[in-house]
Amino acid sequence: MFYRQAGVHHSNYKTDSALFPIPFDKWSIYTMLALGIFAPAIFGSFALTSYLLPWMIWAGAALSLNLLIGWAGQFHFGYAAVMSIGGYTAIHATLAGIPFEIALILAGLMSMVVGVIFGAAAMRVKGLYLALATLAMQFVVDWVLTHVPAIGGGASATLQAPDMTLLGFKITSEVGYYYVAFGWLLLVTLFLLNMRRTGFGRALVAVREKDYAASILGVNSFYFKSVAFAVSSFMGGVSGAILVFCFYHAVTPEQFTVNVSIQLLAMVIVGGLGSIIGSYFGAAFILLLPGALNTLVAYVSELLGLQIGIETLAHLPNLFYGILIIGFLLYEPLGLAKVYDNIRKYLMVWPFGYSKR
Amino acid sequence: MTGAAVQKADDKLLICDNIERYFGGLKALSNISIHVNRGEIFGLVGPNGSGKTTMVNAITGFYPPQSGKIILNGEDITGRKPHLIAKLGVARTFQNLALFKGMSVLDNILLGRHIHMNPSVFGTALYWWVARKHEVKNRKIVEEVIDFLQLQSARDEPVETIPLGLQKRVELARALVAEPSFLVLDEPMAGMNQEEKEYMARFVLDARDEMGMTIFLIEHHMDVVTGICDRMVALSYGELLADGVPKDVIAHPRVVEAYLGGAH
Ligand SMILES: Nc1ncnc2c1ncn2[C@@H]1O[C@H](COP(=O)(O)OP(=O)(O)OP(=O)(O)O)[C@@H](O)[C@H]1O
Ligand SMILES: [Mg+2]
Repeated sequence: MFYRQAGVHHSNYKTDSALFPIPFDKWSIYTMLALGIFAPAIFGSFALTSYLLPWMIWAGAALSLNLLIGWAGQFHFGYAAVMSIGGYTAIHATLAGIPFEIALILAGLMSMVVGVIFGAAAMRVKGLYLALATLAMQFVVDWVLTHVPAIGGGASATLQAPDMTLLGFKITSEVGYYYVAFGWLLLVTLFLLNMRRTGFGRALVAVREKDYAASILGVNSFYFKSVAFAVSSFMGGVSGAILVFCFYHAVTPEQFTVNVSIQLLAMVIVGGLGSIIGSYFGAAFILLLPGALNTLVAYVSELLGLQIGIETLAHLPNLFYGILIIGFLLYEPLGLAKVYDNIRKYLMVWPFGYSKR
Repeated sequence: MTGAAVQKADDKLLICDNIERYFGGLKALSNISIHVNRGEIFGLVGPNGSGKTTMVNAITGFYPPQSGKIILNGEDITGRKPHLIAKLGVARTFQNLALFKGMSVLDNILLGRHIHMNPSVFGTALYWWVARKHEVKNRKIVEEVIDFLQLQSARDEPVETIPLGLQKRVELARALVAEPSFLVLDEPMAGMNQEEKEYMARFVLDARDEMGMTIFLIEHHMDVVTGICDRMVALSYGELLADGVPKDVIAHPRVVEAYLGGAH
């Protein structure tokens, strides 16, 4: 009932294209934003670093991937590799004495270059082959990280992240890391929100939906798909750098294996293709899933007196990601975002459920 | 039909010279030569499968002709990509609607402004300082066309949820907002009832008279074409049967034969 659309009339195109034309949406966003800003004061250190921080980082990465899949309609099965390039670039750059801000940009650019090279190759083929070309990127990057010591630091090596200084602030505390991740997520979110109301976003969707119809409107589909690969890879690279600097504080190839790519895909698809709030949901869901699953399995096996090996336990989440991806693609391509939207629509007319909207 | 009368007779916007197009062994267009004068409504008729859509696909760059030349505004555009042809001021609608599902009617029509907007990543990132003023300016033009085609009530609906007749109008709106100098309509009245057809005919005439567009109109039904076209041609099995003013073309023995001999 707070949600009422009635009485909201826009009398110019500027307010009509505001990010959140409905006041309730606007206020709930402000509340969330305030919560995000004051989170370090509200939540304890454990919740902050074990839940909120990774959630922010992965939501940012999922959004970056969602731009490519949800908006431009190009699947990517090697997105963890895109992130790893950003992570490694940032580490090497800062170790070489380059300021962190610039290292972040370099991370994005490096991911962008490699991402676009593989993307351009991928775009020449369609469907399954596109999937394979992006998967190839994963394996090529994995191989380089483990076999080229100058980049990966040698087999099974770990590179420590040096101290970071951002915009003159030395960032060493948990709270500091949190704000860096939060700030990046904010930027990514704003960009995607803007994409919804600009010609750039519309062109991506048009190319995804019907490239021939887009072309006669003057939209060069190859160009826009390439730009989607470029922007998404850039954002993925920066997200990777943030993940390494703010969460892991070191980088190893295991952080960016094909499993991670699948998890990212699951975040995007379970959350909802082309949905911003969906990627927030998706990231939270996939991050919480392994823990919840382990608890559940432990409980069930206890109940039934079964012995389940550690090995099996470790692989269970992967099995679930697979099931979730296929299930959501088949039955609810709009993901958790759709579930949320249904609730929101319901509230919007409550208690007058019989009126349709 | 005042529009064409004021034009100079030799002011040709489009010239198609000896166009040929095969699909495998099938000759969909054989040696078609036509021209369209600036400011006229030009009709293309023919029975099913006679090559009308193929002709349009050749002109707009989707299926370039295997031989022959297409000249627009004095420039040879044979084999050029559709998105580049669009930038020369050509817009078209499709026989089987080609709207973008999942987008609102408004967003669909806004896409028609693409060539005037130069959307970029930079503009999107700095929306408030860069893209917004373009968006608002282009939105105004789109709203004028929405008013013109009486689409106000459907504006915010997802495009796939509105009735077919309205969808056809949305597609016309999307083509009109591009402010093309050359507008190609592939059977815009297919599946419409008499009233809707008359509306559409009115819109086509207004587009020429008020917006100064040159129109290439494909129609299946003779009545509409003869009613609003300045000149027309008839095709059958990929061959040009006749061209000239509508009353001569429909009276031409080969056209009569093609239409009586065919299912129509
Ligand atoms: N892409 C294609 N591949 C193979 N054959 C095609 C293709 N496009 C058209 N044709 C064939 O070319 C011929 C002309 O088709 P076209 O669509 O141009 O006819 P049309 O005059 O537009 O017919 P309609 O009134 O049904 O729209 C038909 O025999 C058709 O099967
Ligand atoms: Mg046709």
